[in-house]
Amino acid sequence: MNTNCDLIVVGAGPAGLAAACSAAQAGLKVLLLDEFMKPGGRLLGQLHQEPGGAWWNGIREAQLLVLGAQEAGAVIETGVSVTGLERTRDNGWTLWTNQGRYRSPYVLLATGAAESANPLPGWTLPGVMSIGAAQVMTNVQRVRVGKRGVVIGMNVLAMAIVSELRLAGIDLAAIVLPPGNALSGSSSDPEAVLESLVRFADLAPNAMLKYGAKLLQSSMTRNIALNLYPKQGIRMMGVPLQLRRCAIEIVGRDAVEGVLVADVTPRGEPIAGSERFMEADFVCIAGGLYPLAELAAVAGCPFRYVPELGGHVPVHGENMQTPVPGLYVAGNITGVESAKVAIAQGRVAGLSIAFSAAAENAPDEAEIKDAMKQVKRIRQEALIQFHPDIARSRAKLYQTETV
Amino acid sequence: MKEASIIVCRCEEVTLEQIRETISKQGCSARETKLRTRAGMGICGGRTCRPLLDRLTAPPEGESASEFPLKVQPPVRPMSFAEWGHSS
Amino acid sequence: MSYGRIEHHPVLGPLPPAATVSFSFDGSHYTAREGESIAAALLASGIRTLRLHEEHGSPRGIYCNIGHCMECRVTIGAKSGIRACLTPVKAGMDIRSGTVLPTPFRQATKSDRSLSL
Repeated sequence: MNTNCDLIVVGAGPAGLAAACSAAQAGLKVLLLDEFMKPGGRLLGQLHQEPGGAWWNGIREAQLLVLGAQEAGAVIETGVSVTGLERTRDNGWTLWTNQGRYRSPYVLLATGAAESANPLPGWTLPGVMSIGAAQVMTNVQRVRVGKRGVVIGMNVLAMAIVSELRLAGIDLAAIVLPPGNALSGSSSDPEAVLESLVRFADLAPNAMLKYGAKLLQSSMTRNIALNLYPKQGIRMMGVPLQLRRCAIEIVGRDAVEGVLVADVTPRGEPIAGSERFMEADFVCIAGGLYPLAELAAVAGCPFRYVPELGGHVPVHGENMQTPVPGLYVAGNITGVESAKVAIAQGRVAGLSIAFSAAAENAPDEAEIKDAMKQVKRIRQEALIQFHPDIARSRAKLYQTETV
Repeated sequence: MKEASIIVCRCEEVTLEQIRETISKQGCSARETKLRTRAGMGICGGRTCRPLLDRLTAPPEGESASEFPLKVQPPVRPMSFAEWGHSS
Repeated sequence: MSYGRIEHHPVLGPLPPAATVSFSFDGSHYTAREGESIAAALLASGIRTLRLHEEHGSPRGIYCNIGHCMECRVTIGAKSGIRACLTPVKAGMDIRSGTVLPTPFRQATKSDRSLSL
């Protein structure tokens, strides 16, 4: 059993790496565990252009964070799946993994987010994957997911990854809505989706769409836009964004051969007789993200349901501490936001833990407060707004004033 | 859309129709639905369908919903008996 | 060419060099770039079906590609339930897909029912 550390960080994504770095710099012995084959988490797949024109290259950003953590003395182990954790009698933690047990007085859960699905007939066929799967295959593994694909679902994550797939030269036939059913909620409602388009307007380099998004901020113009919205869609990165069309079924015998789609009314109901077959050899299901917090639940941490943050989040303070002694959280497990926010939160968590552990070079309270302010600042400047009310719901969770 | 052709739990191939019928006939909780239909009981432990089952069984009521509708139990990833033995 | 690798990327640059390793999947031989996942190596070779559902036999491939969904599980040597998306290919690996397993109890239930009817 590995007992030789002060802090175990679960998840070597942006939050975990940043936390490991700041905690190790403060003098703690830090061990980072991740089940993927290389550190970086979902940051690895990210690739987009900043408003100033510079590229946010997730692979490079991850390398810098890994280097920072290692230089500070943190140890990173990959291929380790944490399967459970339990509080020990001496107020520490035992972690069960597929590589044996680990012990540590402090644990930081930085397990990120998982993708939600929008199930439809045929979605178990080979060639159907979550949109995040296509991102990893394309940008991290550098393998083509197929010849021509259809994306089902329109949300921030989908738009970001569609841009990345296009950049890699992957052909996409269309982005369509998921079919309306007991599970789809507002994701199959053209008006609700159109409203959310405003939030990712800055991601779309297409000037028309940006211009359109400004207009769409009023509900009256939104209604007009919806009625006039062309059935063949508006092109984004050369891909038709078909707000008035939904997928009905994914078709194929042994693998994806295409998608049956239908036109929908402005309210999202399929129009009888409008069905058509769209040829494709892969399909990406884009259902959005939810905080992956199962280990926090196992640890006995209480939860709050906060839709703005993506679902159930472990209760935590602005300093990233949970009500469970020795248990901290950072990154998307606390609510779905961009990688930059996760990095800033990770830094707060690392400093908070070092403070609590009275580490050799522990920060003072002012330093932690500064790091907390930095999280808010980065949240405000974020290019990708996963939800318009993140700041307000965070403030409510932390019972603090919003700026 | 035919709910019988929509698989919700991929591991156990449980359809939307089976789950919705069970909920309406038995009026059951998330946990009971899981036990009756096996949705969420497959090898992935509900990693893919848990949020979907939550949507069908317990519409969250604002911030009063302070716990997961479905209890999470370790191991949160499947592991072999050999690995389990090695780690305990 | 529908599958294969993204050799040139406008921002990420050319595919970094990597050693080639060979492995087998269901008895056929394939090559991989050292360090890549089994799922990536197979997809690059045009293999999308990694197993059949144990009970109903429906074909399955990668779904989440980050270790959550277990859809890509394969057998390596004597070890089953290995996630192809998280496991790096190693030279000489003998990888097998999953197939339909017998369900004796379900069969019995079915015949019981037909007898009682």
